[in-house]
Amino acid sequence: MNNPLTNVASGPDAAPEGIILVSTNRLRPRRSSFRSYFRKNYDMYLLLVPGLIYAVVFKLLPLLGISIAFVDYNMFAGSNPIQAILKSEFVGWHNFVRVFRKTEFLQALRNTFIISFMKIGCVFPLPIVFALIIHSVSAMRFKKVVQTIIYLPHFFSWVVVSGIFMSILSSTGIVNTVLQNWGLTKEPVLFFMDQKIFRWLLVFTDAWKEVGWSTIVYLAALTGVDQELYEAAVIDGARRFQQLIYITLPSILSTIILMLVLRVGSIMDAGFGQILVMYNPTVYKVADIIQTYVYRIGLGKMDFSLGTAVGLFNSVVALVLVLGTNLASRRLTGKSVW
Amino acid sequence: MAIIETRRPYHYALEALKYIVLVIFALTTLLPFVNLIAKSLSGEAAVISGRVGLWPLDPTIQTYRYVLQGHTFFSAFKVSVIITVLGGLAAVVVTAMSAYPLSRTTFRGRKGFLYMWIFIMLFNGGMVPNYMLYRYLGLMDSYWCLILPHLVSVYNMLLIKNYFETLPDSLEEAARIDGANNMRVLFQIILPISLPMLATITLFYAVAYWNDYFTARMYISSLNKRPLQLYLYDLINNALQIMNDGMNTGSVNADDLMNLTPESVRAAAITLSTIPILLLYPQLQKYFVTGIVVGSVKG
Repeated sequence: MNNPLTNVASGPDAAPEGIILVSTNRLRPRRSSFRSYFRKNYDMYLLLVPGLIYAVVFKLLPLLGISIAFVDYNMFAGSNPIQAILKSEFVGWHNFVRVFRKTEFLQALRNTFIISFMKIGCVFPLPIVFALIIHSVSAMRFKKVVQTIIYLPHFFSWVVVSGIFMSILSSTGIVNTVLQNWGLTKEPVLFFMDQKIFRWLLVFTDAWKEVGWSTIVYLAALTGVDQELYEAAVIDGARRFQQLIYITLPSILSTIILMLVLRVGSIMDAGFGQILVMYNPTVYKVADIIQTYVYRIGLGKMDFSLGTAVGLFNSVVALVLVLGTNLASRRLTGKSVW
Repeated sequence: MAIIETRRPYHYALEALKYIVLVIFALTTLLPFVNLIAKSLSGEAAVISGRVGLWPLDPTIQTYRYVLQGHTFFSAFKVSVIITVLGGLAAVVVTAMSAYPLSRTTFRGRKGFLYMWIFIMLFNGGMVPNYMLYRYLGLMDSYWCLILPHLVSVYNMLLIKNYFETLPDSLEEAARIDGANNMRVLFQIILPISLPMLATITLFYAVAYWNDYFTARMYISSLNKRPLQLYLYDLINNALQIMNDGMNTGSVNADDLMNLTPESVRAAAITLSTIPILLLYPQLQKYFVTGIVVGSVKG
């Protein structure tokens, strides 16, 4: 192992260019056998072991649990989950049929799409606009301060963000005080309890937390735009606005499309972490999304089979969406996530 | 950008508008937080009447005294610190170890392992199977279940892998000729020169662990094992009840409660919980921006 010659002899894979001549294996067209490769590089596989144990135990083993969706799960049927699954009655697609008859589920499905599209429509364009503005500001000090401030909420948890907004929007909070002083409302507005407002509250808090942070990707793209293009444009007499339309936007278009595609690919997640913290029974009707529904049905009411079925439905749709949008991105921009 | 152009009348207006928009954006971000801090430092009457704006009225630190008085806040804080430090370090080590072989094009089985990770990233069994697995493994209500499930984020692993791929081969060639094996190459050559990247990823993990609330809500039932976020969530939603409990069990002095409202107690607890983030923020900002930019360039 420590002999440079044997190391080199491990074949074209490991041989550094300069000393290839020493190797006799190089003359052979065949790759060295896996066994000899493994003997020389077993430590590479050792490196993988902790990660693999993690992957198998925490990510692949739960996949066996998907079968719960196809049985009428009885947790007392066996001494461990696997036995219990095997001994529970097989019911095929029954759980899925059951779930699609539930108005609560259909409501959650609708809410997932509505909230996601509201967020895409209202929140997605903002970082692009702000990145363009930040990029065009020449006062460096000012720019730095603004960036430092707007990145901050990204690092707060949803519990903290939700707590901040509950505080300023409470019936004795500053927002209600101002609204009442200006005579806009007589009674305090209960933002967290109002079915008409709550979805917009989700959109606004999502924007508050993430818009600043999302400008980074676009700012990086803007920095990458070739400055000579602008210089040439100025010589040709292009005005600021024309530069924006003909140079800046086309240059960052592929980034915009990639981000949009990624965002659309994750439509099935309308903000689980956020909604689980912020919602309450009065707004279930407008804010219950698929994952919160799974949480309440599967774990709250202990209907494991139904919860697993809804979870599986969600995972499959999400997978199809991600694969589809990634393919679209590769076609449109040549960029893809992997 | 040295762009010379004819100054039109509206040019200055536009220029001013840009600054105004950015100032409004920054204030929108900042003011809710300022109001929260002001509230946490204000007296009861001012908070209840909704008069607290951006500056504390009848300033008092009693809310902070109350929050820090019982040991619940400290115990939750301690749990979160332990989880964050242990989890962050363990996660970055395991992630880097998994990433290195996948970054070597000569590594046999590279494609297979890579596809496995991408599959894991895109598809999961869902909440219920996870829950049953953790219960079966006896992870319920233990610190392990706060750390282990988030040990490897595939996204972070791909970032590290991509970073390793950009390192020039010449770095390790010399060591290999001297007879170093793969592990030594990784730990003595690759990792030391990747420290900035590893710091970024460690912070990614640390912030995720610090802010993780859902895992605790799913799996932690003992009050004294609650991490900070879960403690905060309970406090935000049941502040009044928790305060009453404290008074009834005598763990809190009734006189101290006289001048407190649930709202200002919440505000104080939330403010306290953000202090570690605020202290680390300059570092966070620096490393996170690098990480994001590296990731997006590669994408």
